[in-house]
Amino acid sequence: MRKLLIKIFLLIVITVTLFSCSENNNYGNRVISYWSSNNSYEINYARFITNKWNEKNEIKVKSQPVPEGQSSEEVILAAVVGETTPDIYSNMWQGDVEAYAQAGILVPLDTLKGFMEFLYERCDSSVIEEIRSLDGHIYQIPWKINPIMQIYNEGIINELGLENAPATYSKFTEASQKFQKDSDGDGYVDKWFGYAEVQVTWWQRFFDFYPLYLAASGGASLVKGDKAVFNNKYAVDVFKFLRNLYAENYFSKERLSARQDPFLSSDIATRFTGPWEISHAENFKPDGFEYDFSPMPVPDNHSGPIYTYGDPKNIVIFKTCKYPETAWEFLKDILDDQGDLLLIEMTNQIPRRKNIFENPLYKNYFENNPKMRAFAKQADFVKGTDASPVLKEVFDLISQEYEACVVYGVKTPEQAVQDASDAVDLLFLK
Amino acid sequence: MMKNKRKILPYLLVSPYIIHFMLFVAFPVIFSIVLTFHKWNIIAPMEFTGFANYIRLFKDKTFLQSILNTLLFLIIHIPLQIVVALFLAEILNQKLKFKGFFRAAFFLPVIVSGVVVTILWQQLYGFDTGLLNRLLIKVGLAKIGWLTDPNIAMTSIAVMATWKNVGLYIVLFLVGLQTVPPHYYEAADLEGASKMQKFFKITLPMINPTIFMVVILSTIGGFSLFIEPYVMTGGGPLNSTISAVLYIYKQGFFYYHMGYSATLGLFFALIILTVVFVQKKFVERDT
Repeated sequence: MRKLLIKIFLLIVITVTLFSCSENNNYGNRVISYWSSNNSYEINYARFITNKWNEKNEIKVKSQPVPEGQSSEEVILAAVVGETTPDIYSNMWQGDVEAYAQAGILVPLDTLKGFMEFLYERCDSSVIEEIRSLDGHIYQIPWKINPIMQIYNEGIINELGLENAPATYSKFTEASQKFQKDSDGDGYVDKWFGYAEVQVTWWQRFFDFYPLYLAASGGASLVKGDKAVFNNKYAVDVFKFLRNLYAENYFSKERLSARQDPFLSSDIATRFTGPWEISHAENFKPDGFEYDFSPMPVPDNHSGPIYTYGDPKNIVIFKTCKYPETAWEFLKDILDDQGDLLLIEMTNQIPRRKNIFENPLYKNYFENNPKMRAFAKQADFVKGTDASPVLKEVFDLISQEYEACVVYGVKTPEQAVQDASDAVDLLFLK
Repeated sequence: MMKNKRKILPYLLVSPYIIHFMLFVAFPVIFSIVLTFHKWNIIAPMEFTGFANYIRLFKDKTFLQSILNTLLFLIIHIPLQIVVALFLAEILNQKLKFKGFFRAAFFLPVIVSGVVVTILWQQLYGFDTGLLNRLLIKVGLAKIGWLTDPNIAMTSIAVMATWKNVGLYIVLFLVGLQTVPPHYYEAADLEGASKMQKFFKITLPMINPTIFMVVILSTIGGFSLFIEPYVMTGGGPLNSTISAVLYIYKQGFFYYHMGYSATLGLFFALIILTVVFVQKKFVERDT
């Protein structure tokens, strides 16, 4: 009797364990797994769209936020190695796609029926060329962007006698000189015009060098194929501009991020940031604090549109997906006009589609969220990253030279850009 | 039958250790040696590259700098650690009120998480808002770029690491000091020796084995310098605080150059082995 009870107990434990390990326990086997970003807005958005889909479709979509990790990129890599990738992932950094594409783990989306027609309907041809992989296929769908712009304290800008944030390098430098202060009289500057993280970490350059380079150059590439193409006057100008700001102490070399927000406490007047700053500022700004956004500063002789880095997050389908055609149908459903409206309304992130600011469908949203207008206007002039499997190394090499030249002034801008370019070329030789 | 059982039993008893050793020591070591001859970014298949990683290693200026940085850290950290630990141990070895409290207080940083300690010191070292610079300004001195001046940053990290670890070495020195026979001091007192003479002529020679143990432990600990620069400086400014382990980590888990990272790791392990071997020879000679 005792042995029988033990056997029954073991059977129950094993059965429960096996069922709880099964991923598709709610939907049976015909299910598509979908990982979204893990911020609360996107989790709600993903739940909403999948519920809507599941109501009328036989093959269900099960959403879950990307598991917690140091970064979503690391989590995805771990999933790739462990062969536990989802079928759809909607928060893929554009710069990672080429490496995954070369590893052969992504579905070439241009092989899916109707994909290219859909893409041309949604995006400009320049965006399509930007996301095209080196093998000619397209493995990602441009989904959302967070353009990097210049946020500025309107009160300070007005005090300096300006109507808007300085638009050119010389105006920016002039305003920096006027604003710089030692407010407590200890002999050290404690009010800087701007601030950018001085850390050498590669992605920090998305918030200083890279958007400034794109702005100055009209959206030029850093690398093309196996060659560095940033050894040009635009990169040198950006290095010169920023180097001067640090040399004159208009930008702090100290990390200000560990203390009270220096922008909201008016210790700095501007910084380069994205639309996520709006909800932060609205929650924590002091009474009477007014701010707005403007494009990145450009060289004095600049003409034409002012580009910036769009921080694009795209959608991919992994080859482990059993139903790529159905996954594509699901994506078409969420990427149409109404789907994008839902995205911007629920997450305050800009869909990467043509003429979003002019589209009457989104008019109400921008009327209700006036701070987002600047980002919507900027959305037509954003760039992501170049297709390269070693993009992190490219940014790291630039970042090393940036630190030496811009922050510590131990190299001339010309030499630093030359050295970074040579190092990137060496990288491709390996 | 019984004879067979007797033959198998010893193997069964040692098998857990053998399995553990094979899985978690032998396999990783052999696999990382194999990796040194390959290019592998985890997601794509391994590609045999012969000695390319070794050639790259000898041309890699940043790796050389990371080794020099680590050596600089050791040069500052080890003597500082020994002097401070020995000084405090000597005081705590005297008849002192609240001795237990002080011993516990000095040991406390050892058991606090390295990341927590590092973040705490980051606040102390801040250029504009850090406590140290505020104190300097109060007494009329100029601010120091504790973590932003490439010439000072590694020293700042070494001081912090000393504060974090000194408690452990105080305990070791206390044990060493308590093994010195009291009659040596009594005899010295009779001869009229001063405190300094007693310290240099009796204490130091008697605790020589402890000092060597502390040197070896500090050396091995110092070679594995990682958390402090990783959290505080990210290896900057101008790579002045990038340690060898941090650089190996960056190559492996930041850029996924697994083959190259394994090559750096193997080379660095050989350096540590050599240094520890030389130290061991010194210990054997002097004891």
